[in-house]
Amino acid sequence: MNKLRYLIAFITAKLSVIALRLTGHPGTNLPGQLALRICPDFLGRIPKPARIIAVTGTNGKTTLTNLLCDLLEQTGEKVVSNRYGSNLASGIVTALLSGCPLPGRQSATVGVIEIDERSAPRVFPRMTPQLLVITNLFRDSIMRNAHPAYIADLLSRYIPASVKLIVNADDLISCRVAPQCEREYFGIGPMPGDVIECVNLINDMRICPVCHGTLRYDYRRYHHIGRAVCTSCGFSSPDCDYAGSEVDFDKMTMRISDKGGSAVYTLLNDSVFNCYNLLCAVAVMRSLGFDHGQISELASRCSIVATRHESIKAGDITLVMQMAKEKNALACSRAFDYVAGREGEKEIVLMMNCLGDVKHWSENVSWLYDCDFEFLARPDIRCIVATGARALDYRLRLLLAGVEEEKIICVEDEMEAVSRLPFVKGDQVYLFYGTDSLVFAQKVRSRIEELAREAAEK
Amino acid sequence: MKVEILFPEVANLYGDLMNPEYLRRSCPDIELIGTSLRDRPLFADEEPSLIYMGSVTEEGITLAVEALTPYRERLAELIDSGRLFLITGNALDIFGEDISADSGWTQQCLGLFPTHAKYKMMDRYNALYVGSFGDMDIVGFKSLFGHSFGSVEPLFRTLRGDGLNENEKGEGIRKNRFMATYVTGPLLILNPPFTKWLLAEMGAADCTLAFEDAAMELYRQRVSQFKDPSTGIVYH
Repeated sequence: MNKLRYLIAFITAKLSVIALRLTGHPGTNLPGQLALRICPDFLGRIPKPARIIAVTGTNGKTTLTNLLCDLLEQTGEKVVSNRYGSNLASGIVTALLSGCPLPGRQSATVGVIEIDERSAPRVFPRMTPQLLVITNLFRDSIMRNAHPAYIADLLSRYIPASVKLIVNADDLISCRVAPQCEREYFGIGPMPGDVIECVNLINDMRICPVCHGTLRYDYRRYHHIGRAVCTSCGFSSPDCDYAGSEVDFDKMTMRISDKGGSAVYTLLNDSVFNCYNLLCAVAVMRSLGFDHGQISELASRCSIVATRHESIKAGDITLVMQMAKEKNALACSRAFDYVAGREGEKEIVLMMNCLGDVKHWSENVSWLYDCDFEFLARPDIRCIVATGARALDYRLRLLLAGVEEEKIICVEDEMEAVSRLPFVKGDQVYLFYGTDSLVFAQKVRSRIEELAREAAEK
Repeated sequence: MKVEILFPEVANLYGDLMNPEYLRRSCPDIELIGTSLRDRPLFADEEPSLIYMGSVTEEGITLAVEALTPYRERLAELIDSGRLFLITGNALDIFGEDISADSGWTQQCLGLFPTHAKYKMMDRYNALYVGSFGDMDIVGFKSLFGHSFGSVEPLFRTLRGDGLNENEKGEGIRKNRFMATYVTGPLLILNPPFTKWLLAEMGAADCTLAFEDAAMELYRQRVSQFKDPSTGIVYH
């Protein structure tokens, strides 16, 4: 009966893929939803590639998944991945289906699967990856993920003991997840710009996880990321199996070393987050047996997906599309910090509004007060346009962050709001948008490009 | 004026530390004093103008209970004598009898109030909140693993949303000037009239709130939106 149910689910899901393709829909989720509805155990039953590399964590999952797919595909592997779809069970099923020509056959050799960190109870009993990368654990949506210790506890309870972990030694929350599992650590040694005391509002590792004494950081990159020692019991951050060093943003290079050697890699871009993504990808590839020379060459042909960070010349300005997930204080803080560090005058548009919540409820805004808007209180930021349903919330938060009132432009309608940008020649215009406003952001982008060209012609 | 912040190393979730910070920004005479888990609390030897604690991790609840248990009688004495407390988010549960979660986790708490919290660890409760405090509207959010059950005098009267639990219209706990509420936002930033009242209770009635005009404009917008029957209350 269960086998029959699986077969019906398989055929239905496959037919839905065809129907979606014929009607011009992307179909990255629906086939999996249908399959799981008909056969709740579908994920457990569908044939899987011989090797599955899973990626979870708060930030960097999609970037790392894309990077690993790009690297592995270049080596000739046939990869199935949910890189373009949902990271919930339905998206994973849809991805695995794409590699199955028949109900009992999987043609892909490798699966690179992004897993939503809260989906561990649904995914891990039915799919056991050989390698699981945990990029980091930070605060995310408070409504769904509460706080990182809660997610760490969930992962620890559900990750099977046979899974080998690749974890971030610089993150004392994620690197201690699932003590039942073997693990390798990656981390980046001291970098220019590191601090000792936390300058961020979010700092979720203030006490020793063993004895609850005070942690002393030898260096801290941001939030709780860094290397720490307990002043009471001597507990400390683990040593790295894969160590990043000599990070040079001028030359755009980083050295990555392990017990088998080292190589200098070209960075994907100049954000620290992407240094970790690159390091993490190299750690996975090294763990799979590739040598540094091969990986370095393959990585030099990779780039990060444009939906996260894209720079466009428009009129006399440079428009930078900067994704900063709505309701995610950490992601927005990192994006603000990154932008604050860029040289030159900037004009900012904040539209990380949760469009879904606006329709039926009202967005829980408490994340704004975990988020470091203080990075935007800078003389080289010419103006900040706060827009969308939460425009007044942004205004109050910016004022409390120390942004001068005269720099804040508050207009609810996004299209009208961007017309208030001054478009000064040579400025960088940053459009901050979230995952909820991906499509809408493209419309706003077009409007900004149009306005910038008009301003240049005047 | 001293405001004691209990255990900021674990009780710092959901922007709640901006509550005491907003008081300080509004009234320069306020000194914020953070008490760590291993410190002797300020309230043990002094009577701070306000004792504050905000939303906390589950492990933090255990650690906070351990840290406060030796001072339970002192806390009871301060509550009975009318010292000012503001407790927000799930920190409320620390002052009740106990917490039990469907994951099997249980925690004996301080037992200063006859409430029992029940958590569903995979079924988070997320909602908007509209209530009243005297003639003031109160707005905010709830993002919790559960609710509390027990007979207590509430802090707020609920207009839309749930109180301490789905069947209770009273929200929070009030005894003398001890105030605890599940409402976050941060509460004091989202509710400038309540914040002014609190400052007056602390003896700082003359203070103008930081960016009071912007805060009031936002408050009026939020009250109007949350009271609108077409605005959903419980997220699903």
